[in-house]
Amino acid sequence: MATTRREFLKTAGGAAAAGAIGLPAIARAQARPGVPSDPVKIGVLAIRAGIAAPVGAAGLRATEWWTERVNKAGGILGRPVQLVVEEESTPKDTVERYRKLILQDKVEVVIGGISTGVTLALGPVAEEMEVPWLSWDGTTQKGVEETMPNPKWAFRSVDNEVEAIVAGRLTPKYFKGIKTVAGIGNDYSYGHDCWETYQAVLKRYIPDVKFVLALFPKLGVTDFTSHIAAIQQAKPDLLMCSFWSGDATIIMKQAAAVGLFKTMKGVFTTAGGVHDSLKKEFTPEGLLLGYNTMYFDDPKGSPLLKQFVREYKAKYSEYPPYECDHAYFNIESYKAAVEKAYPAAGKWPSRAEVVKALEGIEVDSLSGKRSWRPDHVQMCNFYQGITTHKNGYDFVTINPIEVVSTKTAMKPSGAKLIEWINSWKI
Amino acid sequence: MTANLVGILMGGLFHAAILFLVAAGLQVVFGVQKIFNLACGSFYALGAYTGAAVVGYFTGHGGPSALFIAPLALGGLAVGLVGLVVERGLLRFVYDRDETFQLLLTFALVLMLEDLIRMTWGTAPVSTGGLYLGYGQARILGATVPVYNLIVIAASLVIALGLGWLLTRTAFGRIMRASADNREMAEALGVDMRRVYARVFTLGSMLGTLGGALVIPATAAMSEMGIELIVEAFAVVVIGGLGSMRGAFVGALVVGVLRSVAIAVYPELEMLLIYLIVIAVLLWRPRGLFGAAPA
Repeated sequence: MATTRREFLKTAGGAAAAGAIGLPAIARAQARPGVPSDPVKIGVLAIRAGIAAPVGAAGLRATEWWTERVNKAGGILGRPVQLVVEEESTPKDTVERYRKLILQDKVEVVIGGISTGVTLALGPVAEEMEVPWLSWDGTTQKGVEETMPNPKWAFRSVDNEVEAIVAGRLTPKYFKGIKTVAGIGNDYSYGHDCWETYQAVLKRYIPDVKFVLALFPKLGVTDFTSHIAAIQQAKPDLLMCSFWSGDATIIMKQAAAVGLFKTMKGVFTTAGGVHDSLKKEFTPEGLLLGYNTMYFDDPKGSPLLKQFVREYKAKYSEYPPYECDHAYFNIESYKAAVEKAYPAAGKWPSRAEVVKALEGIEVDSLSGKRSWRPDHVQMCNFYQGITTHKNGYDFVTINPIEVVSTKTAMKPSGAKLIEWINSWKI
Repeated sequence: MTANLVGILMGGLFHAAILFLVAAGLQVVFGVQKIFNLACGSFYALGAYTGAAVVGYFTGHGGPSALFIAPLALGGLAVGLVGLVVERGLLRFVYDRDETFQLLLTFALVLMLEDLIRMTWGTAPVSTGGLYLGYGQARILGATVPVYNLIVIAASLVIALGLGWLLTRTAFGRIMRASADNREMAEALGVDMRRVYARVFTLGSMLGTLGGALVIPATAAMSEMGIELIVEAFAVVVIGGLGSMRGAFVGALVVGVLRSVAIAVYPELEMLLIYLIVIAVLLWRPRGLFGAAPA
């Protein structure tokens, strides 16, 4: 049988993951009445290659951390949890692996999915296969609009443009007198959508604001000197940037090399995803920085968050990014839904009963309380704030910290995004 | 106004400097060995990761940060020796095969090196922190230009001159040119083609790894960075002419500077403009600006 490179990686990765959380380590727990004692299999889709590989790794690490803890405490209703890890890559291949997880590995639920390009394709397949799918960070949005308003089996991440909405609202609060704005983002759906949304929000607060330049370099570009020269030429009062991977670090460094933020303000909606690479040496104070749904250094953070950050740092020598929180919430909400549906079912609940229990459920995640909206979209808080050097790390953190709920920063179910923004009373 | 122009020009020159090193590696190998080395981008990525690791070790062990450029360049050159291993261990077995096999082999190298990098350094971007800023900034006609960028541009220029000298003034350069012109004749006159090929391929990979090492302080290394660059390097060699060193130089300048101008004037054209030029060159001068006439 011919084995492609990706398949090899996947098998190797799957074996490694299964080994890491192998069954022997599990304390023998007593399964509840009516509950089978064999492990409950949970399928996990994680990106392992390319630009989003660190994001996929963070989600997988948090899932493994959760699994280890839960198994030590007796599993779900006394059933140990066994992860079956598959790689998220292209839409076509990932859909095949998704089917394989269900048909061959016979998993009870599939969690994961980061790239909306992939999850847009996964949504309809989840409906067809009738197995619940909880997405870490992928939506079923085409552009900024939802394509699956009433799914039965698919549970989607927060809308992609929430960080741009939150940043758009905080911009006039922290930066006074902004008249001209330039934007830079990656040349694919996320970059363009964030920019469109940010402009729409800012126009509501500053009606005469002018958008003087929009740059969309390809994902993976590592030299922005020319882009920065173009931004200098456009002389905006503020630069908005939606980079979320290594390119955020690179542009920060190359901007510092020419003193870009000495002459303008900066908004980085999503760069908190690579927060510990934003070293103080080249990341100035006074930028608006978004951490998405989890801020590792939250002084009001729960003991769970503090323990997670401590153990993550000890194991991986990094401070966890937000993807950990999406992943933790997904798998924790599945456990809670099974436990919620169990008393009525009197046995291990069916998949449909689990889905019903998931709708509207609220659980404690790393970042605090998180829930599923009845139409299967994640509800959570977004953390953004102003960068500061006053901390014990070699990278920037934020102070003050703004916490904004998706209850106010995400379009309600069924709404059209831009119409909704234009309907705000300000 | 002038400040902006200088900023745009310097941005373009910096990009051109890196493009030249990668494209020069591609040209040297193609010129002599007639192999189109797709892995030149991977050598570039390998150089970047190695450079970051060497610099990290150097400053971590008390090396003065102002001198980091010395271990950086040495590390970049040293890892280029991997080219010798690749040539002796793999490439020499396919010299007599069809070009398609050679192309496939270098593509396999791209995939293997990418996985090797991922296994060694992980998936997260690797950088050298703020060292890059240590050299400060220069004011040129009102524009602020990082001194390190000027160093990279100068280094690339020196390497270009050095290559010119090597090719035209040294015995090895004459042998290289003779082998490029007529391999059989050179062999008949007593040139040991095995040694020439090993040296040429190592030289080509060293140019790539050195380019990667030099650029890393100004950016961050990502495992797919090589693939990103090779597309632009293709444009450079098509514009300049396959196998021509002068072509690589002029092609890199054209691509680097025009890209920078496009970003400032009409950003939507950033990549399109480069390909429009490639198409124009292919239509009007299919061998490129400095391409040799077919023998």
